[in-house]
Amino acid sequence: MPAIIETRNLTKRYGKLIAVNDLSLSVEQGAIYGFVGPNGAGKTTTMRMMTTLLQPTSGEAWIAGHSATKDPRSVRRAIGYMPDFFGVYDDMKVWEYLDFFGACYEIPEAQRVMLIGDLLELVDLSHRRDDQVDTLSRGMKQRLCLARTLAHDPQVLILDEPASGLDPRARIEIRELLIELSRLGKTIFFSTHILADVAEICTQVGIVEGGKLVAQGSIAEMQRRLMPHRRVHIKLLGQLEAAQQALLGREGVLEMRAPAINGGGTHPILEVDFAGDDAGVSALLQHLVSQNIPVLHFTESVQDVEEMFMKVTKGIVS
Amino acid sequence: MTTETIAVQPPKKPTRTLREILTRNPVVLKELRGRMRGARAFALLTFHILAMSGFVTLLYTAYTASASTPYSGFDRQALGKVVFYGVAGIELLLVCFITPSFTVGAISGERERQTYDLLRTTLLSSRALVFGKLTSALAFVFLLLVAALPLQSLAFLLGGVAPEEIIIATVLLVMAAFLYGSAGILFSSLMRRTLGATVLTYSFVLLTTLGLPILALALLPVLGFIGYSNTPPLIIQAIMLYLLGLLVVTNPLATAVITEVILIDQHTAFYFTQSISDPTSGNSFQLPLVSPWLPFAVLAFLMSLLLIFASILAVRRAER
Repeated sequence: MPAIIETRNLTKRYGKLIAVNDLSLSVEQGAIYGFVGPNGAGKTTTMRMMTTLLQPTSGEAWIAGHSATKDPRSVRRAIGYMPDFFGVYDDMKVWEYLDFFGACYEIPEAQRVMLIGDLLELVDLSHRRDDQVDTLSRGMKQRLCLARTLAHDPQVLILDEPASGLDPRARIEIRELLIELSRLGKTIFFSTHILADVAEICTQVGIVEGGKLVAQGSIAEMQRRLMPHRRVHIKLLGQLEAAQQALLGREGVLEMRAPAINGGGTHPILEVDFAGDDAGVSALLQHLVSQNIPVLHFTESVQDVEEMFMKVTKGIVS
Repeated sequence: MTTETIAVQPPKKPTRTLREILTRNPVVLKELRGRMRGARAFALLTFHILAMSGFVTLLYTAYTASASTPYSGFDRQALGKVVFYGVAGIELLLVCFITPSFTVGAISGERERQTYDLLRTTLLSSRALVFGKLTSALAFVFLLLVAALPLQSLAFLLGGVAPEEIIIATVLLVMAAFLYGSAGILFSSLMRRTLGATVLTYSFVLLTTLGLPILALALLPVLGFIGYSNTPPLIIQAIMLYLLGLLVVTNPLATAVITEVILIDQHTAFYFTQSISDPTSGNSFQLPLVSPWLPFAVLAFLMSLLLIFASILAVRRAER
């Protein structure tokens, strides 16, 4: 897959402070790229350099093959940027807001009428078309901002913390929208603190800390690299001890734990650290079933993203 | 067989309406929409016209009261001049002090609203942004001026006002609006906060409207003393007169007053000569001078272009 976003040795210094340090990343076309890192890691600075808003001290960023410093206009045509604040005009109606930005992207007036209808429908705001922007809820404003980034049908969406400060419903709505936009062929590059979002929707992840990219790749790749074993969660109807006996000493089984049951559940859970391939995991389940152990739920853990994050970051802030 | 040549008509350029010209720039459309929406613009216009009407009524009453004494006759043309001077003077003050208030938050306001980054990542050029902000602000200032036209026309009804006076007043008003509007835009694009931009812009306005005349007044006694004790040579006199003229043309109010004085004394709105002489040698010279409104208009226009150009550069520059 060709890279649609690429940075090479991107560096930003403010005097002695290095906000972004020699950052080289590559995002495949059509990817949903989660840019993860603690506060002050340099995520926003990197995104501002990619979106032509900030001049790098050294290095370069390319979007859809265009240099952000040498050909900013082509970059602006290729990207839709949503900063980590709303940026809405209070004295405007919802349709006027989209009409204004549509005009800023040089879309002819006749086309804008239809475009506004389509965009509002996509972000589910058609019913608020004639309302003042300042009367919208936080989640609605965020969706309106997302609609604005789509006005000129860009190839790449660069979104800075799109789900920050939103209530759970609004957060899920934004997440669903991102998946929908990815289906429409957009490449999405977004920064986030919410690791659950990364695990659920990202095809690629970049972890940044102290201005440096400390890890990059698909979640599966990173798991393989950073976590030598897989973690299997087994929920049983009972017979926890029998299950532990059945798996004890079996090839690939490194460790077993039976965490305390919380949340009002009554079924015991067994957590198994396992070194092996997919066939090995499948054989594990077969073995338990052949031993007449009542397995209710058998799954590989997804909370590994948090563990990966903790493993590669050291809590450094630039 | 004869061949006929058929003249090919060049394709006609589509004519654009004023609305189309204005709305080609999205910033103009947005700003005008925002400015004219609701009761704010209506209230401002109403207050402006009421205040101007009150002022004209005051002038009219004061003049007729003073003219109706037994020793003075009622001069309708003189009253016309008084109304014209009054309205034009107030409008000039208004343009100098109100125009910057419409532009001073143009760019810094976008930063404060956090919409600046959004605009900078669109295809909107820095030129379109600056011109759009300036055009919409000037359009509203001109609307205020046009709204006061019926009051100004009272002076035309009474007579005593020459057409050149009206033309000069219009040029001065337009150029002053252009100059101070552009100054507001520049400081707005240089400063992060509108407060800082406002302080700098009004410092500039006060310097050019009040600061320089005060400086000139402070310097005049010194110059006069030198003049009485020892009349300088012709060349120094000429230089001093030109410097004084230069000081006048940096100030729209002084320009308006001196232009009118020259119009009354020299009966010209353009070129005239001033006699200077050296009593010790007995030499005299006819110094060529132009009415200050002309150099003011040229200077204000060039200065405005410079300010706009600097604003465009400031907006275009990526943050470092």
